[in-house]
Amino acid sequence: MNSEKVIFAFFIVLALTLNFGFFLGGMDNASHHNIYELYAALVVSLISTILKVGDRTHLGAVFLATSLVADLQLIAAAVVWGYTEHVSGTSLNGETLSIVVSLSGGALLANIISVILLVSETITVRR
Amino acid sequence: MSSLFHILFRRLRSPLIVLVAVYSISILGFVLIPGVDDQGAPWDMSFFHAFYFVSFMATTIGFGEIPYAFTDTQRFWALITMYATVVAWLYCIGMLLSIFQDAVFRQQLRINSFRRRVGNIREPFYIVCGYGDTGTQLTRSLTNEHILCVVIDIDENRITELEGDDFKSPVFALCADASQSEYLEMAGVTHRWCQGMVTLANDDTVNLTVAIVAQLLNPDLRLIARAETPEAEANILSFGANEVINPFETFASRLALAIRSPSLYCLYDWMTGITHQVMKEPPDLEPGLWIISGFGRFGNSLYEHLDDEDVELRVIESDRSIRDLPAGTVIGRATEAATLRKAGIKEAVGIIAGTNVDANNLSILMTAFEENPDLFRVARQNEDKNAHLFEAAHLNMVMQRGSVISNTIFALIKTPLLGDFLRIVSRFKNDRANELVSSIIGVVENDIPELWELSINAEQTPALHKVLQNQQLLVSDILYGIKTVEEGSTNYQKKSLPLFLRRGDGNVILPEGNRFIKEGDRYLMCGSTAARDCMIHSLKNINLLEYILTGEDKPTGWVLRKLWERRHNKYNSKINVVDDLMIEESQSDNDLDNENTDKNIADKADNQLLDEKKQLENQKKKHPEDYLPVKDINKED
Repeated sequence: MNSEKVIFAFFIVLALTLNFGFFLGGMDNASHHNIYELYAALVVSLISTILKVGDRTHLGAVFLATSLVADLQLIAAAVVWGYTEHVSGTSLNGETLSIVVSLSGGALLANIISVILLVSETITVRR
Repeated sequence: MSSLFHILFRRLRSPLIVLVAVYSISILGFVLIPGVDDQGAPWDMSFFHAFYFVSFMATTIGFGEIPYAFTDTQRFWALITMYATVVAWLYCIGMLLSIFQDAVFRQQLRINSFRRRVGNIREPFYIVCGYGDTGTQLTRSLTNEHILCVVIDIDENRITELEGDDFKSPVFALCADASQSEYLEMAGVTHRWCQGMVTLANDDTVNLTVAIVAQLLNPDLRLIARAETPEAEANILSFGANEVINPFETFASRLALAIRSPSLYCLYDWMTGITHQVMKEPPDLEPGLWIISGFGRFGNSLYEHLDDEDVELRVIESDRSIRDLPAGTVIGRATEAATLRKAGIKEAVGIIAGTNVDANNLSILMTAFEENPDLFRVARQNEDKNAHLFEAAHLNMVMQRGSVISNTIFALIKTPLLGDFLRIVSRFKNDRANELVSSIIGVVENDIPELWELSINAEQTPALHKVLQNQQLLVSDILYGIKTVEEGSTNYQKKSLPLFLRRGDGNVILPEGNRFIKEGDRYLMCGSTAARDCMIHSLKNINLLEYILTGEDKPTGWVLRKLWERRHNKYNSKINVVDDLMIEESQSDNDLDNENTDKNIADKADNQLLDEKKQLENQKKKHPEDYLPVKDINKED
């Protein structure tokens, strides 16, 4: 068992599960989407990106790309949330929340690809 | 670029994770800890405010407690996080700095910038592998001519030295092993503008590897290699190197040449020397006993060369164990007067100090001078930095190894035909050599002589190319300078001399005046700087060339030119008549020069107008040795 592999897989799967947890629920129902969950998903996604950077293999490059996509989507979601709450002065309504949730849905897709890659890599490595 | 990025992020991975972790915990803390607003009402920090606060706190900007003054719990948390975030930042920056100081990373940075700069070159350049004494001088000569150089050397000190030097045109240097194909490719072996490569490493195997790799990467590359042993020389030549320079051989043969044929020596010296110097007077050498001190690789090849010239020789060598010492060798230190006397210093006419230690060479020559002041003293100078010492010793001849080789290579680069020309000329007998030298001096007179190459093609000589489409021209029409005919006698201004002609595979030394100029010819020309500039200019400018050829100033504009041509439409037929007359006149001379003429050229090109009988006669007169393939040598001379 390689502890580095454990940490790597842990963060990638955690990024997916947190993202999924946030995404789950009605698109415009604020009570279904917790801001702390979005925050955690963003932080874990950033950490998993850093873990992926620096791998010269082709698979590593795809890992990095999916992770960057997820980051971008989550950051966009967070910015939309923060902007509506603090800059435009209106509280989060169904319309903006659905934007945030759909953005996180995109990130979810990227995270799913990431996990599929991880699983397929694990399967191909024969010991 | 990608590898730089990878090195950077691989090393920054843990500092960045620490930074993200510390930030996220700090932000989360501020969001969770309850606070109060300015009215004292409970107020929770949002992620937005928390991120804002942590960002300016962590970067030590510190705007204060925004938007409302903190409660003590918040201050307690701020106290913890400000230290944690600052430490995380320091860790990140410290790691970043250490990466930039890392040798591997810096080498990678240098390689990247080198690759980028070489890739952006948009002018002809040469690659020099090895930046020792020879490489330094060669690079300097090339850059003085504003030729761009790319230098590779494995020794970092030399590259550092190079970076501190001033050059007239940019020199791109890389500290790397040139025998690795990756680095050679980076240096531009396959680059569109790469003109050639010179490999000057001290080690034959390195030169061999570099030559092979370069040859494999780019088979069309012009390659000049240095080789110290005849085996390596043959080996490198065998896979298509254009020139191989053996430093000891070059050096020794030059010295032998000075003794055998002083005028040829001067010719060599001048042709391969740095420009802007008037041709020197040949040294006056008497026949008699010559003493060679030192019988290493240099002494050995010197002995062979001089022995071939039937010079009486005596060798002084301190090392008894050296094999194949010639008969009559005096064993002992040449720096001692007794040894020199034993070798017959009193009767000798010359002494060559050829050891590989400069101090010994100087000491030998000083002692020899005390014993016999009339001696012709020749020194081998090993190191560039001792130049002023040798100058101060007032010796008759100093052979500086680095400069002999670098000058030879430089001349080969500047005028690629020179190598073949010199090879053929070096076998000339003294009389013929003197003739050649005096004809060059006749052309150049007291000016500073220049060598240049002319390729007759549409790119380099567009005007001449255009003229040749319509009429035939003789060498004497253009290449001897600007021709003026007055009262039957032909005079030339801005005189120049075609030394050598390469046509297809054929070589001609001193092409005759009655030879036709053909498309694709390459001429090695010699003359004053003014003559060179005038010729190069006139062969590019059609108006100027026509004026030189006809003495008539044609209009330059299209309309006026058409009008003018209509009026002078008889002109062309007139010119052809003149040409035929000249050819007939010169046919009788043709036989005299056949000695120099290549078979191919004589057969295919010039004798078209000779009748068959004359052609047969020519064939008989010609000796097979006279018809040189490119790299052969005129043995009869």
